[in-house]
Amino acid sequence: MHIPDNYLSPATCAVMAAAMVPVWAVAIKKVHKELPKEKLPELGIFAALSFLMMMFNVPLPGGTTGHAVGGTLAAIVLGPWAACLSTTIALLVQALLFGDGGILSFGANCFNMAFVLPFVGYYIYKFIKERTKSKTGTVVSEFVGSYFGINVAALCAAIEFGIQPYIAHTAAGVPKYCPYTLSVSIPAMCIPHLAVAGFVEALFTVLILAFVRKVDPDLVEEKPQKKTKGIWGLLLGLIALTPIGLLASGTAWGEWGAEELQGITGYTPQGISHGFEWKALLPDYSVSGIPEVAGYIISAILGVAILLIFFKLLGGRTKKDSGSSNSQNSTSAAQS
Amino acid sequence: MEKIPEWMTRPESYDPPKDRDRFIDKSILSFMGMLSKIKQQGRNSKDLLWVSPFFKLVFTLFYIVLICISGHFTFVYIMFALIVVILATLPADYIKSVLKGALVAALFTYLILIPSAATGNRYSITMIPVKVFSCISAVNILSLTTRWDHLIASLKRFFVPNLFIFIFDIMIKYVVLLGEFALQMLYALKLRSVGKNRSKYGSIGGVGGMLFVKSNAMSHEMFNAMECRGFDGTYHITNHFTFTVYDALGLLLNGGILWLFLYFQKLA
Repeated sequence: MHIPDNYLSPATCAVMAAAMVPVWAVAIKKVHKELPKEKLPELGIFAALSFLMMMFNVPLPGGTTGHAVGGTLAAIVLGPWAACLSTTIALLVQALLFGDGGILSFGANCFNMAFVLPFVGYYIYKFIKERTKSKTGTVVSEFVGSYFGINVAALCAAIEFGIQPYIAHTAAGVPKYCPYTLSVSIPAMCIPHLAVAGFVEALFTVLILAFVRKVDPDLVEEKPQKKTKGIWGLLLGLIALTPIGLLASGTAWGEWGAEELQGITGYTPQGISHGFEWKALLPDYSVSGIPEVAGYIISAILGVAILLIFFKLLGGRTKKDSGSSNSQNSTSAAQS
Repeated sequence: MEKIPEWMTRPESYDPPKDRDRFIDKSILSFMGMLSKIKQQGRNSKDLLWVSPFFKLVFTLFYIVLICISGHFTFVYIMFALIVVILATLPADYIKSVLKGALVAALFTYLILIPSAATGNRYSITMIPVKVFSCISAVNILSLTTRWDHLIASLKRFFVPNLFIFIFDIMIKYVVLLGEFALQMLYALKLRSVGKNRSKYGSIGGVGGMLFVKSNAMSHEMFNAMECRGFDGTYHITNHFTFTVYDALGLLLNGGILWLFLYFQKLA
């Protein structure tokens, strides 16, 4: 996900760097405020840890390997602001000293991997963890947080790539930087991350936290905090962004209908032409009688609401489980 | 004399089942590559290429910005030639290190641009790989020919906050210490992985988790050591700025490059 120089236009790089300046300023302020002065040296060591985490190769089925970014892991362990600072410095070292990731695209890389990834991952983790008090809930929250953190970051990188042909081209209309539009860049970036890199990141986070929790639980134990509200802002932002999907002219790879398949391959496989066709409640995320953009937003709100119901039900069930086990413990204690 | 037990004289042929543990080898190679790069540059007692670290950083950024903005083939090829000429003045092992990173990135860029070229976009496939090669070579030359502590100190002149420089400085030192620790754990894992390892995920989680526990212990030790030496939470960076005749020559050369850039921009 490290974007090298010359893939993004200097204008995009400048905007992304400008967007990161207030983030870094707030991060420094927060870290100064939240971390006692005597803990400042820890930041350097954790930056080294963030850097080294990116070097581990995680085994994948079939003997292949993949490497993780560890952004959500850093955010869970250090808090998202300190993770933002340490990942920024890890990325600066990679760009300046190891030639990995561009110098001009440093702002964009930081936006994706030091801001979006740890914050999205951390708040999803926190949101689920607060609603599921069991051990399984903690593991699920770490897994889901890391998986979505890296995937949203990959989507941001894909959007940065995909807008280049629209904003930077020669007088003849030839793209000067990344030549692929959103309809190519989004599947090209998102499919490998959804299929492989997301799972690598999630596995890495869960495994390391499980180990640390076993050998030294105090290191990853969180102080009781207020329930997160920031997730609502994030969800609203993501819902507002859903009409971006309308920019992609084609159908998502592998989601073709029978007619589109006929157009692509020249014939319709028998299993598809005579197969079962699901009539969705909101076909193509559109609602008849209202504009397409509004239809997208309504579909997103509905999707989020369904997921919330699911997690609330899961949370309720696990709370009941822990409640009943607590009452069993107290009964046995009373008996003894 | 005691007789050797019969079971000890029996020939034994243990053929452990094969396992795919490439993740250990690949992790070892990543760590070794990173550590050897840090140690290679640590061997230099002084900077190469004469120009002072601050100007070297400024010139590298200047080259990257110009290469990235320029839309004229000739200017991009002039910059490519200039970077190759600078590269040619370096020792062979440095050239090898620079080329390894730059060629892989340029080749990868070329491959992903083939579909675009197939649809008639010749501009991207001729320009972007050359630009990628030039920019990555420029950064690698900077990193190999300058002591990193000098490079970090020169960031101060770019108004980078002291806290950033402080973290940066500690980070480089601890990347080596923790990296060597991780490497030892990976060697141990490799040596103990005989036959089928049924808990690969547990192994990698253990190595990563131990690294985290170790880093935490190291940070406590470091703070104690710093407190003993009077650390009060503030970090000051002294600024040693020198301007040499080589810096002046560099500025002159880069003035010429800027003129060339503006000239070709008019033609583009």
